[in-house]
Amino acid sequence: MHPLRVDNLSLHLPSGQCLVQDLSFSIEPGSVLALMGPSGSGKSSILSWLTGTADSRITTHGNVWLGDKKLNHLPTEKRRLGLMLQQDYLFPHMTVGDNLQFGLRGGTRQTRRERVSQSLVDAGLGGMEDRDPATLSGGQRARVSLVRTLLSDPCALLLDEPFSGLDTALREQIRRFTWDAAAQLPVLLVTHDVADIPEGAKVLTISDCTHSVEPLNIQTV
Amino acid sequence: MRPLLYCLAAFVAILFLLPIALGTAGTVLPAFGLVDSLASDDGFATVVGDPRFASAVVLSLRTGVIATVLVLAVTLLTLVCVHDTKLWRLLSASLPPVLAVPHAAIAVGLLFLISPSGAIVRLISPELTGWERPPTDWVVPDAGGWALVIGLVVKETPFLLLAAAAQLSALNVEASLRIGRTLGYSPARCWSRLILPRLYSRIRLTLLIILAFNLTVVDMALLLGPSSPPTLSVMLMSLVNDPDSRGAASAGALLLALLVAGCFLFMWGLERYVGKVATARRRSGARGRGFGVFRFAGKGVVVSLLFACIGSLVLLLMWSFTRRWRFPDALPSEWTLQNWTTRGDILLQPAWTTISIAITVTLASILTAITWLELERHRIAPKIDGIWFLPLLIPQVSLLFGWQAVALWSGIDGHWGTVVYTHWLYTLPYVVLILAVAWRELDPAWGHAAHTLGAGYWTVLWKIRLPMLRRPMCQAAAVAIAVSVAQYLPTLLLGAGRHQTLATELVTSFGGVDRRVIAALAVLQSLLPLLAFVLALIYPRWRQNRLQRDRSPKQTRAIA
Repeated sequence: MHPLRVDNLSLHLPSGQCLVQDLSFSIEPGSVLALMGPSGSGKSSILSWLTGTADSRITTHGNVWLGDKKLNHLPTEKRRLGLMLQQDYLFPHMTVGDNLQFGLRGGTRQTRRERVSQSLVDAGLGGMEDRDPATLSGGQRARVSLVRTLLSDPCALLLDEPFSGLDTALREQIRRFTWDAAAQLPVLLVTHDVADIPEGAKVLTISDCTHSVEPLNIQTV
Repeated sequence: MRPLLYCLAAFVAILFLLPIALGTAGTVLPAFGLVDSLASDDGFATVVGDPRFASAVVLSLRTGVIATVLVLAVTLLTLVCVHDTKLWRLLSASLPPVLAVPHAAIAVGLLFLISPSGAIVRLISPELTGWERPPTDWVVPDAGGWALVIGLVVKETPFLLLAAAAQLSALNVEASLRIGRTLGYSPARCWSRLILPRLYSRIRLTLLIILAFNLTVVDMALLLGPSSPPTLSVMLMSLVNDPDSRGAASAGALLLALLVAGCFLFMWGLERYVGKVATARRRSGARGRGFGVFRFAGKGVVVSLLFACIGSLVLLLMWSFTRRWRFPDALPSEWTLQNWTTRGDILLQPAWTTISIAITVTLASILTAITWLELERHRIAPKIDGIWFLPLLIPQVSLLFGWQAVALWSGIDGHWGTVVYTHWLYTLPYVVLILAVAWRELDPAWGHAAHTLGAGYWTVLWKIRLPMLRRPMCQAAAVAIAVSVAQYLPTLLLGAGRHQTLATELVTSFGGVDRRVIAALAVLQSLLPLLAFVLALIYPRWRQNRLQRDRSPKQTRAIA
């Protein structure tokens, strides 16, 4: 696994308003960088830029690297950056198993099926391959969505408020599941809630075109 | 009060279903020789024994199925390749006006475009072709029916595209593309595996309507289709006008309906097969590659479609003001207003009849739709969205032959009211379905708030609900006018030749009247619905602006 690195990122809205200026950071495999800031400060725009899906009207400068590989000019599908959003986006015309198979890369029909079954067992959802996603609870859906992202074999994980739609009881469970599952990957987590941030993570705060990186400190945050 | 309202709901339902039931019976019974006064012959034997029958069936199937497949392919290609681009925005803006243009007018415009003496040949002649005279290597309409296929694709693709575009917001396309691409799939694969399977189930009914139309269309087939053999629906038209062949016409109409039903069944089977293949492919996890060439081809198709639509309309307009336009000149050498001023006999009376029918039908359709939707809102009438589509799914020929027979038998044929009633049958489905979406989405809390302020039912309907639904009502009215203006067969069969509209005049005059006057007729036929669409766009905005203008000074005074 390689670190995810961003060099001198600047984002400007079509009106000329600056969202981010000269932002640089690096996330090592197995570590988490939490991206915080007020609404509209550009957190989700940074994620969109990383995945190559930013609004074309936003002016961007800067480079993104995965190890030695520059990602800027690669299409989204070649970047291998796994993305999880607040909404789980399980495809409603596919079963749970088909959703996971959709994420999985390569393999024969048999091995693909086996890997999906094993992943579901690991996620505590064994035997749910043929279930309609609509019949799952919020927590189950969140786990399936994360497993689908991980099965696509990403080199880094981008999480855009993935826990905010869950109730309090589920949140802790899904957080633990996520950090365990993503233990080997560089993770960029966008969140408003400091409780989402795992121990040892650094916090990157952006606001009004300024930014700062600090170790997680509950009191200062 | 409630029993009366139930009676009203029953009355509306009967009014709508009566011509369908009687029309079906009026076709089926003579086909089996069960009505002596209408069918003296063995209908099935006569129609099947007609030397044109087999070729007509093959031609109808070929043109109808190929056109439908192309309409679907072009629509999906457009969505995949052009969605969310500048071209998409241009296309979205062009769709409603193109949809508004009647079939017959588009057909005539296309003839001016693609025929050997048409605009395309003129544009490249003689420089590229060396032709000083129109080529004789091919003719339009051609024997293979390809001109008809092109016409159907040009006219029906905007319809399916508009239906599909309306569904995209519900499918969360952006998010699906984003997730699919971060999972490693190319944009084309994201469309084919994540979006199109869900979209297809939402546009299936529209596609069935298009298939039924393409297999059974009469006016476009008369203008763009071959004449020997003609399509089955055109062949049946020649039989229905002969009293001795009434049984054969009815039997043929029934066979045409069975042909359409068979195609529906085939499509259902094909859907299931394609669905299974698509699922198997999806499970393979193949990511696909970029689609640069594919996207380029898609954009080419969209541009060609826009060119054909807009080019046809521009050509109609040019021909209608042309005095002299010699081949191979790219533009007319002399212009004139005479095509419009000297042929009032062909233009004015049909225009007036068209307008009077269209306005009456539109008012009747909107009134009926509002009545039904209000009854449905109060749980008096059931939600029967599928039933409204019936007249659009049953071939016009199959339904109207029978309905005409019933009208003849009951003595109501040829009456203006009968023509209006039959037009209403075909406009009501569109009006109900357009209004139903907005009607059901309107928050009932607005009405509740007004009731708590002391307003009664009629005040709430008149002062709150209808003004808040002004925009969809205007859209529904524009669509109703467009549908009514385009009706050829209902006017021809139920009008008994006494009511010439622009649609009937255009088709019957074609070939016998100067093409410049034909162009004027087609322009006039297109202008009415276009005008309706422009008004539907402008009027709600004008009302809104006026409201804001009226409010501003008062607000200023209040603040002061």
